[in-house]
Amino acid sequence: MAYKLAHPFKLLALGIDHFTEWTGRIVAWLTLAMVALTCAIVLMRYFFETGSIALQEAVTYLHAAVFLAGAAFTLKRKGHVSVDIFYQNFNPRTQAVIEILGALFFLLPVCLLILIVSWDYVASSWAINEASREAGGLPWLYLLKTLLLLMPVTIMLQGLSEIIKNILFLLYSKMPASPQGEA
Amino acid sequence: MVEHISIIMFIAVCVVLMAGYPVAFSLAGTALIFALIGNFSGNFDMSFLYALPNRLYGIIDNTTLIAVPLFIFMGVMLEKSNLAENLLSSMSLLFSRLQGGLGISVVLVGMLLAASTGIVGATVVTLGLMSLPTMLKQGYSSSLAAGSICATGTLGQIIPPSIALVLLGDVLSSAYQQSQLALGIFAPKTVSVGDLFLGAVIPGLMLVAMYIIYLLIITHFRPHLAPRLPPREQSKVAVLQLLQGLLAPIVLIVAVLGSILAGIATPTEAAGVGAFGAALLALGSRRLSIDRLKEVAQTTTEVTSMVFLILVGAAVFSLVFRGFGGEALVEDLLSNIPGGLFGATFAVMVMIFFLGFILDFIEITYIVVPIIGPALLGMGLDPIWLGVMIAINLQTSFLTPPFGFALFYLRGVAPKTVKTKDIYQGVVPFIGIQLFLMILLCFWPSVATWLPSLKY
Repeated sequence: MAYKLAHPFKLLALGIDHFTEWTGRIVAWLTLAMVALTCAIVLMRYFFETGSIALQEAVTYLHAAVFLAGAAFTLKRKGHVSVDIFYQNFNPRTQAVIEILGALFFLLPVCLLILIVSWDYVASSWAINEASREAGGLPWLYLLKTLLLLMPVTIMLQGLSEIIKNILFLLYSKMPASPQGEA
Repeated sequence: MVEHISIIMFIAVCVVLMAGYPVAFSLAGTALIFALIGNFSGNFDMSFLYALPNRLYGIIDNTTLIAVPLFIFMGVMLEKSNLAENLLSSMSLLFSRLQGGLGISVVLVGMLLAASTGIVGATVVTLGLMSLPTMLKQGYSSSLAAGSICATGTLGQIIPPSIALVLLGDVLSSAYQQSQLALGIFAPKTVSVGDLFLGAVIPGLMLVAMYIIYLLIITHFRPHLAPRLPPREQSKVAVLQLLQGLLAPIVLIVAVLGSILAGIATPTEAAGVGAFGAALLALGSRRLSIDRLKEVAQTTTEVTSMVFLILVGAAVFSLVFRGFGGEALVEDLLSNIPGGLFGATFAVMVMIFFLGFILDFIEITYIVVPIIGPALLGMGLDPIWLGVMIAINLQTSFLTPPFGFALFYLRGVAPKTVKTKDIYQGVVPFIGIQLFLMILLCFWPSVATWLPSLKY
């Protein structure tokens, strides 16, 4: 009975999980593009003796997209390192409490901080349509900097999902089934 | 009194981490709480935190760090396509006539694996999964098998191209410049990731050589610890298969490393080509499918985000630490330690050793090294020597019972028949070897600095 009342929250958490899982899977392909572009740059440099600033910057963009947009995905898959010497011996309820407190007092405030202090930084970049300072560089520096806002927002979303899932676990002793990674 | 808040914050972070919440958030979150309290009590100026976006953009814009995901890709590809496993079986066939041959193969394969992945956890887990069962089946003593696997797994710290050295090189180069500017040298000398790689070559190879010598000696005097394969199975060596399994990955890793050391390619370029080469090898041995590719790409994304989020967390932490005047305090403390430079270095090394029990190398590199680096380098220490020492020191720390990371990783994949006590006993001689190397480096720093000095 009571579990049904929690249904909207469960749906919200699972919806966020789906979103995060799919952004991660899409972003993951960019690592292949990074490898390919880096090889292309090396080929051009050593065989044709030309360099392309634009290509090099493209690798930087891809790299930034991978680690900034992939952070929420990694959170969902529990891929962020932690000191689990004691954690692994705690019972599941204690672990759930730690997850909730950690998200409330560390994850959410830190993401808010990054969001607040980066806002003007990114806004001023948009205001001038900031482009690369290098000749022949890419003209989308403001988009690259916008990733600094995207990262905290996606992590906060996923953090919210983790909070909901762990609260539901504490209340009803079962964890909503989340879409699983293939790894 | 205000400066001491920074030290209290540092201790608070260490305590908070024990709860087991992800390091990056714990680090930044604890610092933020201290900053907020400091702001209300008038000891901290929140405007310090507005330097954050610039710091974060600095991480994005840093071309050296792009080598990190590419090296991770290469290592994950070699691991997921079982190339390393093939390498081990060919190598152990090659050494099957030698007493302790399997153990030596594990050390050599582990060295190559460490060179390609550069992540302690990944190397120990992979090596443990693929070699521990074989070693036990062949009758190796649990402690000798576990000890050599753990020790070899930690080689990822020091054998270039290790990710630890890429990150250390990045931090040390800015620390080096900072220390010289502070001394009024306005055309500062630089130190690059390539220099650090070069510096780590000889100490790394010495370590491998000493591991092998130890295995040869112990198995010579106590053959029952490491029995040979029965002769019947030895004869199954197929030369062609052996060459295939051995040659390709070795050529790949040597080419990647060689091109960096010879100064032909930057670490980032070499890593990109190495990642591509690993994919080609997997394709060549028919182990590359779309699914495998997807798996490699997703694991690479996870590990990369994990590494870089710690950099983000450490950026928040170090801003707050600086805001409380922590850097000046540390510099003051270090210069007042009796024994001058030696005393200060020794104190720092002991501290890093113990921090290695709770923090991984990425955290230590980005939290501790920026704080102590400029002070030590300003006192005249060689940056390459310092980098190599930190790497070996952390490696030893990761191996030391009861808290060493490598031991936990192996415990996680080892069968129940291997007692935790066996693992602890097995690593002791290897810890001795590493301590010996550190002492050697103290008396002959040129072991690390000689090779890079040839470059100029």
